Amino acid sequence: MLGLWFRTALLVLLLGSCKPATPPAAQVRIRWPRDPESLHPHMLANAMAVQAINLTYQSLLAVDASRQQLVPLLADSLPAVRRNGSASFFSYRIRPQATWDDGQPILAADVAFSLRAMRCPDLPNERMQAQYGFIQDIKISAADPRRFTLVCAPYAPDYRMLSGDFAILPEHLLDSAHTLRTLPLTGIDSVAAARPAVAAVIQRLAAAGLERSPGRYGSGPYQLKTWQTGQQLTLQRKHPWWGDPLQATEPQLTARPEQIRFQIIPDQTAALLALRRQEVDVYAGIPPADFARLRQSAADTARLGLYTPDSYEMVTAGFNTRRPVLRQSLTRQAISCLFDVEGILNGALHQQGYASVGMISPHQPVFYNDSLPADTFNPTAAITYLQQAGWRRQPDGTWQQLGTDGKPLPLTFAISYRAGNAAYEFIALQVRTAAARLGIAVQLRPAESALLTQQLQAGEFDVYLRSVVGNPFAHNFIPLLHSASTGTAGGNYTGFGSPASDRLLERLAAAEDTLSKRKLLRQFQRVLQRERPLRVLYFMRNPIAVSKRFTNLGLSSLSPGYEVAGFVEKPQP
Amino acid sequence: MRGRVLYRLLRPLLLGWLLLSVVFLLSRLAGFGSTVDLTPETDILSSRQFERQQAQQALQKRLGLNLPLFYLSVVPHPSYGPWLLAVRWHGRHNQYHQWLRQLAAGSLGSSYRDGQPVTSIISEALPNTLRLTLPAAASSVGLTLWLGLRLARRRWWRTWVLSLCVALDAAPLFLVATALLLLLANPDAFPLFPAYGLPESAGTESLWESGTRHLYYYALPIGSLLLVTVPGLVLQLVAALEQEAGSQYVVTARAKGLSDRQVLRGHVLRNAALPFITLLTDLLPALLAGAVVVEVIFALPGMGRLLAEAAAARDYPVLLGGVALVAAARLISYWLADALYAWADPRLRRQTTLPTHA
Repeated sequence: MLGLWFRTALLVLLLGSCKPATPPAAQVRIRWPRDPESLHPHMLANAMAVQAINLTYQSLLAVDASRQQLVPLLADSLPAVRRNGSASFFSYRIRPQATWDDGQPILAADVAFSLRAMRCPDLPNERMQAQYGFIQDIKISAADPRRFTLVCAPYAPDYRMLSGDFAILPEHLLDSAHTLRTLPLTGIDSVAAARPAVAAVIQRLAAAGLERSPGRYGSGPYQLKTWQTGQQLTLQRKHPWWGDPLQATEPQLTARPEQIRFQIIPDQTAALLALRRQEVDVYAGIPPADFARLRQSAADTARLGLYTPDSYEMVTAGFNTRRPVLRQSLTRQAISCLFDVEGILNGALHQQGYASVGMISPHQPVFYNDSLPADTFNPTAAITYLQQAGWRRQPDGTWQQLGTDGKPLPLTFAISYRAGNAAYEFIALQVRTAAARLGIAVQLRPAESALLTQQLQAGEFDVYLRSVVGNPFAHNFIPLLHSASTGTAGGNYTGFGSPASDRLLERLAAAEDTLSKRKLLRQFQRVLQRERPLRVLYFMRNPIAVSKRFTNLGLSSLSPGYEVAGFVEKPQP
Repeated sequence: MRGRVLYRLLRPLLLGWLLLSVVFLLSRLAGFGSTVDLTPETDILSSRQFERQQAQQALQKRLGLNLPLFYLSVVPHPSYGPWLLAVRWHGRHNQYHQWLRQLAAGSLGSSYRDGQPVTSIISEALPNTLRLTLPAAASSVGLTLWLGLRLARRRWWRTWVLSLCVALDAAPLFLVATALLLLLANPDAFPLFPAYGLPESAGTESLWESGTRHLYYYALPIGSLLLVTVPGLVLQLVAALEQEAGSQYVVTARAKGLSDRQVLRGHVLRNAALPFITLLTDLLPALLAGAVVVEVIFALPGMGRLLAEAAAARDYPVLLGGVALVAAARLISYWLADALYAWADPRLRRQTTLPTHA
């Protein structure tokens, strides 16, 4: 027996003695929920990949997240825009200081090469190909090899940002023979098949393995040091880097941490423990319950800075307006009254969200329509709306009306949402309880993510719960609510859309000056509240914890919520 | 004899092909099979509809998903409606044919997500899984035998241990793993072990250092697997030992003057081993398939997580590669079970070697 105790004691001693080494200084360790899968700048596989690509590649423009405006990155200033009836022109000049890692200057020819590379067939660039179809040609200045003009489709406001938002690749490393230069920008697909030289370049591009080797082909301040799939990814600061001398004057070129290490921890419990044990420094998107617990712990708040920046992500309940039960806006109004948003925010989100009357955040006071009445949980109003819509209460407490085919139509509906999301489950259960009290039967239909999207696109749902991510630059709601966006590949699942509402959305998408945008947006929110194709339940906050070792976090409402490149480590006492 | 050997060799291949074909066809027929989705879980305002459609089509074309699935398809008859079915022949230009040709050439294809060959993805994930599952399996066998033999001798703590085994056997893995994590990696309780991850290779270090470092990181994941596997095995083994203990050969062995220990190890254990072997060989496919729950909770990049993520992302080539591997392990485990049965029970050996006398 003594032997067993001795052995156990030895084991415990052994385990206690091998603690992990303390992290090297100037390293930021960030928790990622999953692997970025691919770091190809034309693929943009997921949010993690986008974060890493933004640190290793550069585009012409960048977004200053804290000021929420476009700033020039590789370009020396914002583009000069010209337009006529049939086309629009965006003129850029690349900073003269910008070079690749081997000292070669970054030129307009590299931009042209990048545009051609993202249109080559058989490469993982479908999304870019489709998104950048509006760029029809590039004209490089004969006098200045850094100056060029992008010839684009007839003007739309979001072209200003999009025209400078793709990663620039080095032509001299990937196509040293300048084979692609001879091709027109449009129709590369058909030419590539006919010319073996072009096919060889495409093969070289595929063999370059951009999926796993950022840094070598990017002009950004970091390069990939190690990447163990599903485990960790480390970026190392380049020395020297072309942007070094400009950092004092151009904050968008700041890159301070020596190493950025992304730790992939899928499980939230393990991630929280790792944060509390100082095994990671940054954890964004903390579940609200965990965040509330962190806030209450004195030991944790002493070590961790806890922040809740706003986000542009909103949770919405959409109605299938093609369903006979939900075809009247009054019925949709009635169901909208059954969402107890205050209760949901308290119960499921620990107040990490705030209610809104429409698709504009109340924290954007210029555009938010504050004259609209707030949506409240009001079953009495729901009954009034139902009666106005022609529903009659039956002796057994349920509701019925005569359908268009003359047959009695009972008032029941199902709520579809992504399975496993605790907040959606809470909302669905709350609505079911509230509806049951009024005699309305509600079914819950949780589904796996891809299956849910397919059901929504096929119109096989009554009410859905889903989140929508907006951004401060474009107010383009056409993909979500325009009648042209219905159908299998569209994003307008509700089937909503009248000629008048379509016109409003089109004018809104084309509006540029703040005054007309404000007027149209206020009108849009009014129409949305009246017609109720969907109801915005709340906007979410993004709970973030960052070790107090770091300052200058660049917190903002744009994903991921912080700017790691700007982090400054406090000197250790 | 030659025919028999040939049959023994060909049968697993045939079974493997059948299994993979069924998985291939079913996964792609499952409603959402023909679309690899570019749309994320949330709607992002700015993507335009026609762009999304265009990108979707281009992606399907690059991955070859725009081709018909099989050599033939059955559709409702164009003129007689749904009551009469029409068979349409697609020839060799179909997804299944291309996949089969690739498979015959020894290639499992490449991942839809990052274009990496499936074999290299699997060979990267498999060692991580084996480092977790092999020690777990070996120690669960060792622990089971040790505990089972001790319990068979009717100690005073037997009832308590068996009750504990029943309770643990009923506990789900995620609960046990999370409990261990919250107990032994928690700054509020006993922060003895790391909360997640794998040991970093620290360059030059001795075998002892590397061993202890691995032990430090793998203790909780392996511990949680043991806590879930061992109780079930112990309960089975104790029941089998108990059943054998009443047999007449045990009485004879005792009458010969053998000690309790000799009877138990030399006679009872061998006879009680048959159901235990079945359970053991079942462990092999699980070794390769990994333990999804443990891998997710402790952030270990192994096969279980790989396959779960591939399934969620509809990355069929990786999924099929994983299924092929697990199917192969399953076949090997059957062979192994046969061999172990023959070793444990000579009567079975005689039956398999001399079938014509039966």
